[in-house]
Amino acid sequence: MQRRLIALLAVLAMVMAACTTAAEDTPTTGGDGDTPATSGDGTTPDDGTTDTTGPAVLPQDEGGVLAAVQDRGAVNCGVNDAVPGFGFSTAEGEFAGFDIDFCKALAVALFGDVEAVNYQPLTAQQRFTALQSGEIDVLIRNTTWTATRDGSEGATFLHTTFYDGQGMMVTADSGIESIEDMENASVCVLSGTTTELNLATRFDSAGIPYTPQTFEDNETLQSAFAAGQCDGWTSDKSQLAGVRSNYPDSQGGPESLVILEETFSKEPLGPAVSDGDSQWAQIVDWVVIATILGEELGIDSTNVDSFADTEDAEIRRFLGLEITDEEGNTSIFDPGLGLEPGWAGDVIREVGNYGEIFDRNLGPDTPLGLDRGLNALWTDGGLLYGPPYR
Amino acid sequence: MTTEPATTPARVPLWRDTRILRAFIQIVGLGVVALIVYVLWFNLTNNLRRQGISTSFDFLRRPGGVNVADAPISAGAPVTRFIWLGIKNTFALALPGIPLLTLIGILVGVGRLSTNWVVAKLSALYVEVLRNTPPLLVIFVAFYVLILPLPTVADPATPLNLFVITNRRLSVPWFESVGANASTLWWVVLGAAVVAYLIARWRTRVNERTGEPHHRVLWSIGFFAVVTVAAWLILGRPVGISVPKPAGRIVEGGLSGLGAYFAVLIALVLYTASHVAEIVRGSILAVPRGQSEAANALALSGFQRLRFVVLPQAMRIAIPPIINQYLNYVKNTSLAIAIGFSEVTLIVFQLIGNGYPAPQLVLLLMGAYLIFSLTISILINLINRRLQLVGR
Repeated sequence: MQRRLIALLAVLAMVMAACTTAAEDTPTTGGDGDTPATSGDGTTPDDGTTDTTGPAVLPQDEGGVLAAVQDRGAVNCGVNDAVPGFGFSTAEGEFAGFDIDFCKALAVALFGDVEAVNYQPLTAQQRFTALQSGEIDVLIRNTTWTATRDGSEGATFLHTTFYDGQGMMVTADSGIESIEDMENASVCVLSGTTTELNLATRFDSAGIPYTPQTFEDNETLQSAFAAGQCDGWTSDKSQLAGVRSNYPDSQGGPESLVILEETFSKEPLGPAVSDGDSQWAQIVDWVVIATILGEELGIDSTNVDSFADTEDAEIRRFLGLEITDEEGNTSIFDPGLGLEPGWAGDVIREVGNYGEIFDRNLGPDTPLGLDRGLNALWTDGGLLYGPPYR
Repeated sequence: MTTEPATTPARVPLWRDTRILRAFIQIVGLGVVALIVYVLWFNLTNNLRRQGISTSFDFLRRPGGVNVADAPISAGAPVTRFIWLGIKNTFALALPGIPLLTLIGILVGVGRLSTNWVVAKLSALYVEVLRNTPPLLVIFVAFYVLILPLPTVADPATPLNLFVITNRRLSVPWFESVGANASTLWWVVLGAAVVAYLIARWRTRVNERTGEPHHRVLWSIGFFAVVTVAAWLILGRPVGISVPKPAGRIVEGGLSGLGAYFAVLIALVLYTASHVAEIVRGSILAVPRGQSEAANALALSGFQRLRFVVLPQAMRIAIPPIINQYLNYVKNTSLAIAIGFSEVTLIVFQLIGNGYPAPQLVLLLMGAYLIFSLTISILINLINRRLQLVGR
């Protein structure tokens, strides 16, 4: 009799335990306890990191990330909300920027709707935990692609969206003209970034003594910099340009700051997804490539619909238009990425090609005023080179 | 129940036997806890394995690559060195902070009960404002309002030519070793301090035995001063005073702390002291009124009444809850991360940012705080046991 009672209680306990895991699982899978939804307490270092907006997904769940995203009807996109030009929230509370546009491009490719994105602002330190735990489907948050991050952080980096490099910003009246002038200087840097490592490498290898001042967020860092706590502010040059363009006039305005000539690191920034779901990774990869191919093929958001009658087979394949072969059969090219034919055309129409995205957020007509530089097409001497769409 | 021998000897069925039921419930409870722990552990290890994240601790010997201000180690030092550095910096917040917050807490707690209207109201205002504010906010206020507006390093303030005040760091004059015998002198000073303490105890005992004035402060400090000065002269003046001087972008000499350090220290000391003040006030109110009336009857002055009658009894009541505040203080130092003081939490998070595995590092971090808390609890409990009234 009591053995039955033990069995009953044991079963009850197991159901309870299964429910606690299932509660955070996707509602579509049953609470069988075998598909744990979170990585356990250990991977969430701080209570500030666990604020899930949608059901968490791990690649090993049935159907992968793509199925979960389609069920949800929106992409959970991990972004920055404090870097002008790349990822920031506007006065109206909307997210905008270069990285944000790639989130939108992904949403258009999947749902045909730029609004189908849940933006999840993350700090530099939260981002990989959020990716590992499935809180976000894709991380597009000016994140540098490095071997350790690929190898040990459970992340897979995809096609680089922006080739950046680290620089140093100082005040114009400081008299600093190069890193060599910065002996004993105090340098402000954001914690949890590759920037920190590069800073140490650059100064230590040159034997220049310095004091690092590490900050969690750009706002506190900017206050400390403005108050004169630091002589220099080091970050990716694009970010420094963004900060400089937005520097308040009360503190001297953009002209009071100088970004030093020297670039002391390679910073390829691109989207990252969680390891273990190659289908999802390919989709994100090809959404980025599609914007580059769009520019390469001369397709932009204003003229995309004028290509309906084009003879160019590559463009017809790219836009998902009907292709007639020699025997008169018509077909629509589907590379098998798991996206609806014509997705690339939708992306260009709704968000634009790479050049448009760049010009809108970072280009010469924006406050950042960046040149294309390395981020020009390979045909123009840059590094952007999209694999063929066939 | 029905187990008394007086009733009929009919066997109680097992499922109604209280002894068996109690044991059974405990076993089930244990089983449930074990199961929950197992499920959590299984979740963790399984997910880590699936995502190809290593669960070993080999990374501890690899280079940390963290930037720490004033660090004696370069960024290439191993991860363990950085964790130790973080623990040291947390300790640097705890060590001066705990005595300071105790002192302020007691003063404000007593002040709240003062018959002086201004003192009482000011103390109440202090307690109510700080006690009802999140500590993170207090830290930000201290950083933005107290530290950042200080003079920049280009134009430092040097009051009395002894201190250097900038918003980067604050420096005070400090000892510096100039001779070869400096370490010998420090050992002598340490020995003298121990002997001075023993002298104070001896004088106390003499006072208790014979009733003659103990003069223990005079005796012990006099002994300490004579021995220290004599040793300093005999050893050839091996220790001098170094006065801080601004030198370009840094400050040379003296003892200096980063602005962020002082912001965290000031903010958390004031914040925690407000909680201690409430505990002290409550404990004083818990001392029976008859005690202070009796002290009054003995013609003790107001200060003597507090110092010899009320506070000793109140502190016995106050110590256990105050330990909690000490532990809170140490745990709250992790908020220093917000303004970038490199205590252990920030360093561990930076290591995670550098690609080292979060689960293992967070485990180590939890261990570090556990050791901090246990050490404080054990130390204070030892003091508590000595102060505790012996039950009669």
